[in-house]
Amino acid sequence: MVRRAPAILPPVPVSMVALPRMSDSRPPDPLARLGEEIDKARAERVRREPVVSHRSVLQQGLGLGFRIGIELVVAIVVATGLGWAIDRWFGTRPWGMIVLFFLGVAAGMLNVYRAVTGISGPVGYRRGDQVSAGSKDRWDDEDC
Amino acid sequence: MAIEIQPLEQFKIERLIPIHIGGVDVSYTNAAFLMTVAVVLITALIMLGTRKRALVPDRWQSVAEMSYEFVADMVDTNVGHGGREFFPFVFTLFMFILFANFLGLVPYSYTVTSQIVVTFALAAVVFIGVTIIGIVRHGFHFLRLFVPQGVPAVLLLLLVPIELLSYCIRPFTLSIRLFANMLAGHTMLAIFGGFAASIGLLGIFPLGINILLVALEVLVAALQAYVFAILTCLYLSDAINLH
Repeated sequence: MVRRAPAILPPVPVSMVALPRMSDSRPPDPLARLGEEIDKARAERVRREPVVSHRSVLQQGLGLGFRIGIELVVAIVVATGLGWAIDRWFGTRPWGMIVLFFLGVAAGMLNVYRAVTGISGPVGYRRGDQVSAGSKDRWDDEDC
Repeated sequence: MAIEIQPLEQFKIERLIPIHIGGVDVSYTNAAFLMTVAVVLITALIMLGTRKRALVPDRWQSVAEMSYEFVADMVDTNVGHGGREFFPFVFTLFMFILFANFLGLVPYSYTVTSQIVVTFALAAVVFIGVTIIGIVRHGFHFLRLFVPQGVPAVLLLLLVPIELLSYCIRPFTLSIRLFANMLAGHTMLAIFGGFAASIGLLGIFPLGINILLVALEVLVAALQAYVFAILTCLYLSDAINLH
């Protein structure tokens, strides 16, 4: 994306400046013509490269992959550590650690499960119903 | 002569300007210096990019607009309605982490985000901020975040602690993910670099691996900034659009 945009866009202003053809049926206003030209280039790009959506899927997948790897481990470690600290403060020697270890496993799994079930929508923790509600909200926004 | 390899030396904090106030060490360190550089560069990029406001952007403006649109799109998609007011925060966070990561890849510089103190501070700001926003927006109702709907009361005894724990773990996963990725990546680079330097002509092989690793690190640097920002968006979304 970062590479592609400049490759498409520069020819537009150059042709604008160098060849001001006024003879044909195009609008005489250079701004309107520029808009027209950008629209055309954009349509062309969408037609030619459906790769863009593929790319964003890849990007989302990578983001997700890097995310959930650590989720489970950290949940267990932090919860167990918390249990150990509670045991130290209250002298409930093994119990806090045991209980919080299992809670940590559950919480980690919950986080991973949520991350994975949100995969079809925008990457996230939201469940299906919330994802659709969220995207509806998005389209209501005036400047999409 | 063997060259001594110390892959962890690169993470050492050095005091550039020692400052002690009331027994507290607040020295200006190399980490602080790199943070300053990141902030200055980001400010310069945005200032340069928005100076002309041309219809057809030049390179600077293009980069500034692209980063703006990228984050704006991310906020719109993930926070949805009413997310725009948090755009400045997410944008600042994203740009800072992105620049800190990339600056860390410059030889002889310092990777700020390889310090858990830094990443945890960022994550704690997000966590505390999101919690406060949630409480301000929804008041006592915010606690419903921890109570799954349509669940028998008996199971709630088990599920509420799990939900609570999975919520409180957020700053840890957020900070450790970024920190661990940067630490591991840069350690690996240093190790392979050390190999390349110490085994003479054969060092061309680890050098080749190192080139690939640098490419991977560029990807990781961008991706981790992206992940941090997107998770911030999702947490904000949780707090704003309470179910």
